[in-house]
Amino acid sequence: MSEKQESKPQNGGEEIRIGVYVCHCGLNIAGSVDCDEVAKFAATLPNVVLAKDNRYTCSDQGQEIMKSDIREQKLNRVVVASCSPRLHESTFRKACEEAGLNKYLFEMANIREHCSWVHLHDREAATEKAKDLVKMAVAKVALLQPAEEVEVPINRKTLVIGGGVAGIQASLDLADTGYKVYLVEKEPSIGGMMARIDKTFPTMDCSICILAPKMSDVLHHPNIELLTNSEVVEVKGYVGNFQAKVLKKPRYVTKDCSACNDCTEVCPIIAPNEFDVGLDIRHAIYTPFAQAVPSTYTIDMNLCLNKDNVIVCDKCIKACERQAINFEMKPENVELEIGTIIVAIGADVFDPSVLPNYGYGRHTNVITSLEFERLINAGGPSGGHLIRPSDMQVPKRVAFVQCVGSRTDRNGRLYCSNVCCMNTIKDSLLIKEHWPETEIYVFYVDIRAHGKGFEDLYKRARKEGVKFIRGLPAKILEDKKTHNLWLIGENTLQKELYKMNVDMAVLSIGLEPRRNSEIVQRLLTLSRTQDGFFMEAHPKLRPVDAATGGMFFAGCAEAPKDIKDSVTQASAAAARAGILMAKGKVTVEAITPISYPEKCKACGLCTKVCPYNAITLDKELQQIKIVEAACGGCGTCAAECPFGALTQSHFTDEQILAQIDAVTEYDSEKKIVAFCCNWCAYAGADFAGVNRMQYPPNVRIIRTMCSGRVAPKFVERAFARGASVVLVAGCHPGDCHYINANNHTKDRVERLWKKMEQSGLDKERLQLLWASAAEGERFASKIREIQTIIKRVTPEEIHKAKRVFEKALEGV
Amino acid sequence: MPERIRHAPLGNKKVKQPNAEVHIITDQCKGCGFCIKFCPKKVLEESQEINARGVHPPKILDESKCIICSFCTAVCPDFAIFVVEKPCKEERHIKHD
Amino acid sequence: MDAEETIISKEDLERLLDVDKLKYCNECGICTASCAIAELLEEDYNPRRLLEKIFLNPNNVLASDELWLCAWCYSCYRHCPQALKLPEIFLFMRKSATEHGLMQPLEKALKKIVENVPLPLVTTFVCFHPDRAGLEMEKISEKIERMREEYLKKEKRKRTVKTSGEKIAIIGSGPAGLTVAYESSRKGYGVTIFEALSEPGGMLGKCIPKYRLPKHVLTKEIEFIKNLGVEIRTSVKVGKDLDFKDLWKKGYKAIFVGTGVHKSQKLKIEGRDLKDVVHALDFLWKVNSDKKTEVGRNVVVIGGGNVAIDAAETAIRLGAEEVTILYRRSKEEMPANPWEIKEAEHEGVKIEFLVAPKKILEDNGNVYAVECVRMQLSELDETGRRKPIPIVGSEFIRETDMIILAIGEAPDLEFLPKEIELNENGTIWVNPITMETSLRGVFAGGDVVTGPATVIEAIRDGKRVAESVENYLKSLAG
Repeated sequence: MSEKQESKPQNGGEEIRIGVYVCHCGLNIAGSVDCDEVAKFAATLPNVVLAKDNRYTCSDQGQEIMKSDIREQKLNRVVVASCSPRLHESTFRKACEEAGLNKYLFEMANIREHCSWVHLHDREAATEKAKDLVKMAVAKVALLQPAEEVEVPINRKTLVIGGGVAGIQASLDLADTGYKVYLVEKEPSIGGMMARIDKTFPTMDCSICILAPKMSDVLHHPNIELLTNSEVVEVKGYVGNFQAKVLKKPRYVTKDCSACNDCTEVCPIIAPNEFDVGLDIRHAIYTPFAQAVPSTYTIDMNLCLNKDNVIVCDKCIKACERQAINFEMKPENVELEIGTIIVAIGADVFDPSVLPNYGYGRHTNVITSLEFERLINAGGPSGGHLIRPSDMQVPKRVAFVQCVGSRTDRNGRLYCSNVCCMNTIKDSLLIKEHWPETEIYVFYVDIRAHGKGFEDLYKRARKEGVKFIRGLPAKILEDKKTHNLWLIGENTLQKELYKMNVDMAVLSIGLEPRRNSEIVQRLLTLSRTQDGFFMEAHPKLRPVDAATGGMFFAGCAEAPKDIKDSVTQASAAAARAGILMAKGKVTVEAITPISYPEKCKACGLCTKVCPYNAITLDKELQQIKIVEAACGGCGTCAAECPFGALTQSHFTDEQILAQIDAVTEYDSEKKIVAFCCNWCAYAGADFAGVNRMQYPPNVRIIRTMCSGRVAPKFVERAFARGASVVLVAGCHPGDCHYINANNHTKDRVERLWKKMEQSGLDKERLQLLWASAAEGERFASKIREIQTIIKRVTPEEIHKAKRVFEKALEGV
Repeated sequence: MPERIRHAPLGNKKVKQPNAEVHIITDQCKGCGFCIKFCPKKVLEESQEINARGVHPPKILDESKCIICSFCTAVCPDFAIFVVEKPCKEERHIKHD
Repeated sequence: MDAEETIISKEDLERLLDVDKLKYCNECGICTASCAIAELLEEDYNPRRLLEKIFLNPNNVLASDELWLCAWCYSCYRHCPQALKLPEIFLFMRKSATEHGLMQPLEKALKKIVENVPLPLVTTFVCFHPDRAGLEMEKISEKIERMREEYLKKEKRKRTVKTSGEKIAIIGSGPAGLTVAYESSRKGYGVTIFEALSEPGGMLGKCIPKYRLPKHVLTKEIEFIKNLGVEIRTSVKVGKDLDFKDLWKKGYKAIFVGTGVHKSQKLKIEGRDLKDVVHALDFLWKVNSDKKTEVGRNVVVIGGGNVAIDAAETAIRLGAEEVTILYRRSKEEMPANPWEIKEAEHEGVKIEFLVAPKKILEDNGNVYAVECVRMQLSELDETGRRKPIPIVGSEFIRETDMIILAIGEAPDLEFLPKEIELNENGTIWVNPITMETSLRGVFAGGDVVTGPATVIEAIRDGKRVAESVENYLKSLAG
């Protein structure tokens, strides 16, 4: 490419004038890519009229240069080679618009997350790769077409999933702003974890005392519709226009209930009260705790004797003066139309019975911190008296064991659970407050007192005589006669072994993702991090937004956090949802299908694969009809059409083929052509970049919205052009952001494998990968793994594939 | 609530549990077995004994399980079974299964 | 050694730690607290501190005797929240030290072993394993013997024996019993060991294969203990030949129960009583007692503990063409020592994970195959391991002509007086600190308390017992 190729007029005579901007991103890119060389190379590409490198293209100054170039140089296409389009595409699109250029005439080359950050130590290869990535972007941008976005109105209602403190706060904030809120809680009462805690740190407020008024506000707010005993079972639609189905389970007690408790007194059934972690009992008709909202009692049909409408036992019915008990209640399906969704499903606590060395479940006096909360709570099973379970006596020596289930690779979680240190300090002070003579030992690894007022509380605990011993017990042993406990460990500061005899041990258990968060993830097509918590759109700048438009996170659903942080995040989520709804409308990206009726044979294949039923076949007219508003924009219809009668706007066949051709122009036999879906695999590759996971530089990623967009002809074209390996990567089955479009990816790849096998080709050369947005390492290790395949692919094999797929070279 | 319950309820809570006395008028029974079939707590079972009407009347398996719902009385076609509540001698400690 | 010289690189360390998974030591001290050697040697050995030293400057550690004191029980690894494989990190360092001829620290370490660890010869062979760093065991064992002689001479000069004359009875002559005998007789007590078998040594002689522990090493060790004045009465079975009452009557003031676990657990499947189906302990015992042992051509071992590994390796050494271990969970959950698993695989033993036997198939009384079912792991159970559940319809037939069962061992404790309480799993319950059973004056330790464990852990128990027996006898004296 030494000689500048002549710009040819294209697209109906309009001359293509491309400007390329290669960003240094400080040293983030320039540290391992020679940006100057890349810019010089870009200048030699067809249709490129100017190519520049600059330190920060996203800065005001950088944008200004771009804008003035568009105006003065009459640029009609722009390429920025910098970071991931997932980060700054919108920034640059906006700049283009400001300079009078349609924003769909812009393209990005991701030379940071996909290049400089993952090839930190190979400047030469990274520079070569960056050139390829720019070449691909230039090839695509030349074929881009201007497009207008459709505006859709937003439904000004919010669905809040989860009625813990985060859900309560988000609901109240939105309701106060004036939006209608549906708050769905699966338990009979709202309140969540905070309602079970005795006091809050660092202020030592009574937890339920500050929460109960908020719970009551929720109940009485005219803008909030509270749905308890309910679960969201289906969510359809898109930002601004979701349809949700909620299953409302019957309480069997009507609103006439006055919470007088007469019914529970006569109910003959006894079961552990889950709210008190089984330390107290309840009846089949019950209310989980005194301050429950709504206060209406509920009947647990798994326990009640009256099944299938046969009234065997009518004691509660007889006892209820207000005749509020109704065994004929049926489950209801509530259908909601909403514009935004706030996910506040909270977190579960770690179950320490899987740690055999601590003996939880076997040793009576080993309890969890949650059980301790109920024990010390005045409304709890012991009326707030600190007693140990084995003999109901006040323990004289209490040990707290930190990091149980947190920061561990063995039967636990790798992360720090954030709240346990302060919770223990608070608990130790609560004991000291009422039983100052109690000896308290806290066994810890690190005390993390990072928040406002936390350090003071920590110091107060030390002042009160709580003893902090650095080093976790290796085991907890029980003396069978006294039920006292021996904690055996190493004091790592004194470097000596300890054998500590205590009356009761409290395991400070960590938080973990809700056991059903996988179901919620699929229901709402969200992403989760490796830890299992929901993943935000950007960890720094969009910390409460989900990657899916119109959805927000609040509280522990996103990561373990304390009450204050949950409330803060809930208000932020409410504000973010509010901003969207205040605008009243949302634009839908112009990535809907384009049809060519003259090629259409009305076979109806596209209608079958569309996950949104947005394409219908009119049998009489022998043509298809596309409902753009219903289209999600996955492009799987375009991949399915065998006649080329459908393509996806902004991801047309020509554009993607041009990218493939650009990759395979040189050294194709050494390269991997990778198709990555925007939501999972591409984001996963970004994640690998952000975490600087190093992998070989011979992969070239082509972004599609969904892996379902990858038409067999793209793969065939890559092989026909001599690519060594083709990788198709998408979301895990079931996690697809377009309902189930990636099921078709699997089918198509399997068909190609079969074809390759029949033609005597090494089918390993076509790789399929499911990788989520958090699985950067999975992506990186796949690329490493593919190297062994590349090594064994011979020139003959490449040549054979070229022949087998030569038909794919024909024009489109 | 998702936590698995590992501890028995604290023993300081005593709960009044029904103290039942089940009466079977053996010779009045015609052996339909309704009481056995419908008892929600499975307190009754068929006995080996043959009564005046030549059938097996029910016998009590575990009286302490009876919660005095009196459903047996309600379903018995021959008025051959009834339950009375004895005065509570003591409040019993309860245990989970 | 030159402190500037870099022998261990940062990359080596990162690879050993598996830092890709962000595994770093949090300094919680759990490793040290679960380490038998740390308890035996007190200040002289601390695995956590050693690891910390390696992080700070690995090259300095090469000159440290601590490096040679790890006893490969993997107890630290099994307890470590980060699952760091300390023994393997230490082995890497040991190898580097050997390559660079840094042998002075080993001498120092051996001295510490001789002075603080009872049965130094046996433990060097089956625990400390300097051979894994490429050293010759014969030379080292000679060295140990010399050191021990010197040490005893020195100690004799120093010691003024305060013979109080009290007698201690020890039931079982395994590592735990021998340790109590060694320690107590040095404290001046009269010690008698009662051994049911004709040879002393317990599991050391019975089931540890000779290629791990040569017979003459054990003989030397026992001779040494006898020379201290310990009486070993073999072929005396407590419970049959005499009982606890007799022992008290004979004037023994304290009794130690260290009878180990010898009862093979039964596999509850069809065909377990066929002649080609043997229990691993019986098999190993037969081999160890030099009886001619027939081994199949295609042997299947069922189980995942150290005994299963030893049985499989022994079968290979006896000429079996193919030996396969079937284990119902995955490698992660395998209770056997990870290094020994690696060694066995190297010897040619195949291990199939997530497979459980369902039925043993026979033809005219001869085993020809075993029907197996594949398992999958479900959630974690109370043992902290993932529970295996059979996959319906995944049954398959595996051909074999000999099956060795090694699915765990339990203690046989019918001889104990009723007052001695047992744990749910059939082992003896002891006060975790004093090792005293629920019957006053009776102590217990080793496998009979912990269930199947390593030699070094039995020795650790033995030393604890010896100390608390001393306290107990002193308290009797008033």
